[in-house]
Amino acid sequence: MTENIYNTQPNIYKPAIMKIVARQDEAPGVRTMRLEFLDPVDHEYFKQTFRTGMFGLYGVYGEGESTFCVASPETRKEYIECTFRQSGRVTSALANADVGDLITFRGPYGNRFPIEEFYGKNLLFISGGIALPPTRSVIWSCLDQREKFGKVTIVYGARTVADLVYKHELEEWQERSDVELVLTVDPGGESPDWKNRIGFVPTVLEEAAPSPDNCIAVICGPPIMIKFTLISLKKLGFDERNVYTTLENRMKCGVGKCGRCNVGSVYVCKEGPVFTAAEVSCMPQADL
Amino acid sequence: MTKILLIDKLDNCVERWKAAGITVIGPVHRANISVYAAVEHASEFDFGLVLPDRSIKELFFPQTEPMLRYAIKKDTIDTIECMPPSGPRIIFGSRACDASGMAIDDPLFGWDYKDTYWFQRRNESVIVTIACIKADDFCMCTSLNMEPDSTKGSDVLLRPLENGKGWLVEELTDRGQEAFTQIAEFLQESADAPAQTAVVEKKFDLEASVAWLQKPENFDSRFWKEISMRCIGCASCTYLCPTCHCFDIQDEGDTYSGVRRKNWDSCSFALFTMHTSGHNPRSTQSARWRQRIMHKFNYFPGKFSVNSCSGCGRCSRQCPVDMGITETLQEISKLSL
Repeated sequence: MTENIYNTQPNIYKPAIMKIVARQDEAPGVRTMRLEFLDPVDHEYFKQTFRTGMFGLYGVYGEGESTFCVASPETRKEYIECTFRQSGRVTSALANADVGDLITFRGPYGNRFPIEEFYGKNLLFISGGIALPPTRSVIWSCLDQREKFGKVTIVYGARTVADLVYKHELEEWQERSDVELVLTVDPGGESPDWKNRIGFVPTVLEEAAPSPDNCIAVICGPPIMIKFTLISLKKLGFDERNVYTTLENRMKCGVGKCGRCNVGSVYVCKEGPVFTAAEVSCMPQADL
Repeated sequence: MTKILLIDKLDNCVERWKAAGITVIGPVHRANISVYAAVEHASEFDFGLVLPDRSIKELFFPQTEPMLRYAIKKDTIDTIECMPPSGPRIIFGSRACDASGMAIDDPLFGWDYKDTYWFQRRNESVIVTIACIKADDFCMCTSLNMEPDSTKGSDVLLRPLENGKGWLVEELTDRGQEAFTQIAEFLQESADAPAQTAVVEKKFDLEASVAWLQKPENFDSRFWKEISMRCIGCASCTYLCPTCHCFDIQDEGDTYSGVRRKNWDSCSFALFTMHTSGHNPRSTQSARWRQRIMHKFNYFPGKFSVNSCSGCGRCSRQCPVDMGITETLQEISKLSL
């Protein structure tokens, strides 16, 4: 009738198709999958846009889509790795998918960790349980350009030894001289041959007592761990503005329209998922 | 002398538009409720309604719509996009509140990522609004700093004539003008006076309410628990609201083929925000009602500089337990004194 006054663009709800090229069981119910794009155009878009911290909507047609982080680093964009716990309808369908099967992916969406701002600084990564995957994307993004950063410390804890994810990579980090890895399991979660720490992450962190000087902390974990770890970091002298975390909420669209992932006025999908602890403390805590 | 359209000529206009391939939509009765729907003849319209039970929203954002079809094959997955049925439409007899509601949601659906489903329909629709000459107790456009004859979101504004025989025509946009050029021969010049527009009394103090909502400490106010005690979480308010835009995405089908749909969803439902783990950021009805009010009058204007409410009053009018935006903001206005 008249000219197109609303500039439309390709369908934002149409996912890319990805092939599962490898998979690895990490812990009971937790699996990592390596995915490759079928369409080179989709891959090119991913290569141009993906930065560590961004997330995607992984899906199986007929079941739906589920939101989790891209667990692989921005320094390795030939594929996407994702790690998930089989817990709902979509993750069950993903868990049933085999190498060679096809799944869908929308993204990458959201903001990122400002890695350039971390250059020249010491890095402290703190993570709990199934929350290592988002942290791992940042860890490898930094380790792949190790010379640009100061001291790297990783504090990682899980409920039991079996629940630790990326066991092969933990071994690799433990052997590296340029990474200090502090591993812990909750009391009672140790196995007879466990040689690392026993205790909750905040306690172990305070014992390790990393210096807040010229240091950026990246923390990710269950809400209860985050809550007490923030208190410990404060005790150690960390400034809230130098502490980064990544939030997650239920999402459907991933692009700021479906209306459910906001915490107060902040949309986790558009303005997050990466926030500083200072930003999180300004959000209405009852909405977290 | 100004251009007028006589009601007697409306059927000729509908014929003309339809002959040009345009779908003509307006306020009609369908199965015990009033809605905006496509008509064959002008006689189907009911312009006597204060406003239809259901808003204009579903013409742009249907209750459910297929987005994609999928077919899973041995070595590939085919995704077929389902775009809305294409073709020009004239929505004749919208109300100012409904028309402005669509303009309010444009920035949301265009926020960095453009929703093609919304914008294709926006692009193909001409909205012809009839200024209100009557209102009911629930109308509250003036409380939102709008009027029964506001032009926001409309392509043409019609003002009912005092003698009740037709409307004064004000073409507002190029597309509105184009639609009325097609029926130019049925329009005539006249000096007839327009009727008085409806008087809608102010129901609450918007500025004071917004100021109260913006104070961070009021997020945890006891007020939210008290005001939402009655809410049964039925979501009628959100479904009938012209600006409520929340949706769900669901697949229907099996392992081999099916359809991915976009469905209306509502912040009134507990499942809306529930994590797989069982954790729910908005686990109580009061948290969910707070979200709805905060979203409309604090978060949305913070992002898009406009309140996500156009004052139609449907939330209060149709609420089974007699609460809504009006009642809530009236109470907040009192709190902020």
